[in-house]
This record gives sequence, C-alpha cells and structure tokens, in this order.
Amino acid sequence: MIPAFEKKHNVKVVFEGTRSLVNLEKLQKNKGQQYLSVVQMDDPVMILAVREGLLDPITAAKVPNSASLKPGLTHMDSMWVNYLQPWVGIAYNTDKMQPPTSWSDVYDAKYKSRVILPSLQNTEGVMNLFMASFLKTGKSMSEAQKDMDSAFAKMKDMKPNVLMSYTQEGQAYNLLEQGEAYMVCGAISTIALARKAAGAPIELAAPKEGTFSMPSGIALVKGGPMPELAAAYLDMLLSPEIQAKVSAATFALPTNATVPAPAGLASLTVHPVDWANVSENRAAWVARWDRELSL
Amino acid sequence: MNASSSRVDPVALLAAPAILYMLVVFALPMSVLVIRSFSGSSGPTIEAYTSFLGDAFNWRVIGNTLRIAFFTSLVCLLIGYPTAVALARSKGAVQALLLVAIILPLSVGVVVKTFAWQIVLRRDGIVAAFLVATGVWDEPQLLLFTETGLVLGAANVFLPFMILPIYSVLKLINPNLQDAAATLGASPAQRFFRIALPLATPGLFSGTSIVFSLAASMYVIPSLLIGDRFQTLATLTGRAFLLMRDERLGSTTATVLLVLSILIVTVSAWAVRPKGGR
Repeated sequence: MIPAFEKKHNVKVVFEGTRSLVNLEKLQKNKGQQYLSVVQMDDPVMILAVREGLLDPITAAKVPNSASLKPGLTHMDSMWVNYLQPWVGIAYNTDKMQPPTSWSDVYDAKYKSRVILPSLQNTEGVMNLFMASFLKTGKSMSEAQKDMDSAFAKMKDMKPNVLMSYTQEGQAYNLLEQGEAYMVCGAISTIALARKAAGAPIELAAPKEGTFSMPSGIALVKGGPMPELAAAYLDMLLSPEIQAKVSAATFALPTNATVPAPAGLASLTVHPVDWANVSENRAAWVARWDRELSL
Repeated sequence: MNASSSRVDPVALLAAPAILYMLVVFALPMSVLVIRSFSGSSGPTIEAYTSFLGDAFNWRVIGNTLRIAFFTSLVCLLIGYPTAVALARSKGAVQALLLVAIILPLSVGVVVKTFAWQIVLRRDGIVAAFLVATGVWDEPQLLLFTETGLVLGAANVFLPFMILPIYSVLKLINPNLQDAAATLGASPAQRFFRIALPLATPGLFSGTSIVFSLAASMYVIPSLLIGDRFQTLATLTGRAFLLMRDERLGSTTATVLLVLSILIVTVSAWAVRPKGGR
C-alpha cells in the first residue's frame, strides 16, 4: 500500500510504528504543531483523542471511499474509521475435533481442560464476556455487553474446561497445535489463519451467533502538516482494490462494503463493541475475573 | 593510637564499584517505588496498603506467592543437598562433568526451558506416558498449568542456585571429620545430624534464601507455566504497571513482596544462626 501511494503522489511516507497509547502521547505533546498527518490507533484510544480534540472528521468530500464503508465502522461523527476487521472466532485443532458451530460448544463437558482463553488483558479476551452474557440472557448483543453479572455467572460454567488463560498468544497456539488444547476460544483471524496458512493443523470457526472484531482505527490528525495527502492516503486505504489486497494478506475482513467477504464468511455477523464501556470497566472486570475465575 | 582500628580497611574499597552500582540501579529506584506506594493526593498515606491488605483476594495472592516459593525451595533442597555432597566428594573429570551439568542449563533461557516443560508435561508427554505405563496413574492427568507443574518447573530452573552455595561450603569441610567421628563410635545418623548437617548449614541457608527469593519474585515462569488464572505478588505487580498503569498498586505489591522476602530470610537466618557455646 505505502509504495503504491508514494508512486502515485510522488511523495515519501514516513511511517512510525508505535503503539496506540504512544501515538496518543505524540499527538498530545505536539498539539498546535502536529508533525503527523494520519494516525492509526485502537478504538478505545481514539475515544480519548476525540475528547481532546486531536482529530479532524473524515468526510465523504475529503475521503470519497469512506462513503462505501460498512455500517457501524465510522465512529463519533466520523472522527475515525475502521480500515480492517480482524475477526474473532474459535480456533480448533482439526486432528482432535469436529468444527465447533456455536460459542456454546466451548462449554461442552467433553472438552474438559481442553480450552484456552485469552486473559482479560488481551482485548480478544473481553469478547468472551460479552458472548457469555449473550448466551446466558439472550439479550441483544449491545445490551448483553452491559450485563456483566450474567457474563461471569456463565463463565463459571466453563471453568472445568479451561486449560489456561494466556497473555502471550504464541504459547496458546503452541498448545493448540500440539493437541494439548483443542480450542482457543477468542482467536484473532489475523493470527489463527496465518498459522493455518503456515501449515498448522488448525482452523478458525465462525460461530453462528456472530462475532466481534478487533480494534483497528485510522484517523486524520487535526492540524497535521499534509491534510490533502492525508485524506488521499485514507481514501486509497479504503479503496476496493487496496481493501481486497490488504484483507486477503492479513486474513481480516474488508471494511469497504463493496469488497466481497472471504469465502464462507459472507453471512458472518460482526457485532459492534462498545469500546467506551470496555475502557471504563476493564480494570473492574479484571479484578472480578481474578476473584471468580482463577484456579 | 586507635587510628589503625578505626581506619577503614583499604581492601573494603574493592566493594565500592558494586555498592555504587547497586545504589544507582537498585536502592534508588526501589526507594522511589516505596515512596510512591505511600503517596496520596494529599500527602503521605498508608491508604494503598490498607486497601490492599483489606482485600481477601490479595491475601490469597500472598499465600500463593509464599506457598510456591516454599515448595520450590523444598524441592531444590531435597534434590540439591545430595547432589552437592556428591559434587564435593567427586574428583577430577567426574567433578568437572557434574559442574558442567549443573551450570550449563543456566545458559538456556527460561522461556526455552518452560516451552520444553510444556512438551514433557503435557498429557501425551513422556512423564504422563511413564506414570501410566508404571501403573501410578490410570489415565493421564493434568500437570501443566497446575501448582505442581509450576513448582517442578521453577525448581528445575533454580536448582543450580541451591547446589552451588551448598557445594562451596561442603568442599571446605575436612572429610576426615566423618571418619574421626566413626572411629569414636558415632552412628551414621549421629554423624549426619551432629556433624555433616551443622557444618553445611551456612550453605543450606544461603542456597535456600537465594532460591526462595528467586521463586517468590519470579514472573516469566508462572506466566508461562500456570497462566493468568494464578496470581502471585510478582505477576500482580507486572500487571499493575503494564496493563492497568496503576503505579501505586504496582509499587504497593512490589513493596509487600520485598518486605515479606526480607522478613522471611532474616527470620530464618536468625533461626539457623550458629549456636554459641562449647
């Protein structure tokens, strides 16, 4: 993507690969004299940047392709958009079991000590709480995200099945591929499908209840040095050609609605996550996880 | 007249670089940490400690930390002491071989070791296969991600830190003492408890203190061998700083761990102090 952009506009893109919170710090420190034009950050961090007035809205006039985005991927009055959707499913060992079809399969007693969960420190771990709440209550997914009592009550039923909960995903995939674990519940497509492509005996199931996607925000910096080029960069990233290429290469879903989903995933529902709710309550959820779901 | 006795022995100055180094990289940051744990929005406070210790879950974490450190030290002691005796008695090539076997594993990173443990301890691994074949187990049991697995893995990593201090003390003991005692009619048990053990105590103590402190503060080993569902003071500290960005909580847990370790090591030093007298 970057070489294509550089060639088209005859410019040089300077890329600083730092983490979301570091990026936010860079924007805060340089307010009024920004040296960055485009910023990529996780959705919860974007909320903070919007509150501090660090971002410029992404309008269809500036970024025509933003009009083709799937619904729900333009946030807080177009302050940021999602450029990809790494989706979360159940990764399973194909030598050990049949494909799971539902998030409730993970609770089946026949998988005693065979399930790996991400910790709540990992964003994909938080999504297990939402799904547990949904399975327990049958509420709408947006309501279920607020009902943590039901989420923890349901997760307790899974305790006998949990082999471990990881903070480093490498270890989880090791155990899955060796067959010590049968499932990683809350596996990110960009990681699981890359392992599969590398020849690991695993597959990523997209359960019938639908799923969530990992944060992947991109935004225009307010007062950035190159506003026109910044808008052109976003437009190119959201264009059908680049979306098709990047989503195929990273095993994520495209966010441009005109780009077809990968085979078998056309009917997969991706539920929106209430990131403000996550940022606000995550510490409390971690504390509760320690007390109710630890060994 | 007393000038010579009050003057500092110049040889002591050789420790100056180490002292300076530890002041800068350990004492200074540690003091910052301790001070931070006592700082509140309106002046010094012990609020962080009262809220930390007022939570039953945190007592469970303290219990986890001390229990794991205790059993790791015990396993190291039971395996390490006989090994150190064998090492002290051996000579020449055999001794060199033993030393290499003890020290070489230290050059293998903890992460690599824990991944190796994962292969050995899994339900279709060799330990389970052996225990099932010998009839100890009816079917493979879970060893990974249990406290037993954690203790065995940690003991494996820390064993050299138990053996080497014991060995360094044992090799200074005159081997003739045992024979002399036997000549004078002491039974093997008497010789062990009245001679070998008391003489080895300084080594046993330093080995145990080192392993206990290492095991109480280990971070990578529990995160890989038991995972996020088992918290110790060290993992809680790591999480407070790295995930929650709660510096006060992290400083508090780190200080609690430091105080507990110092307390336990000093009390046991006092308990095993050389008894004066005849």
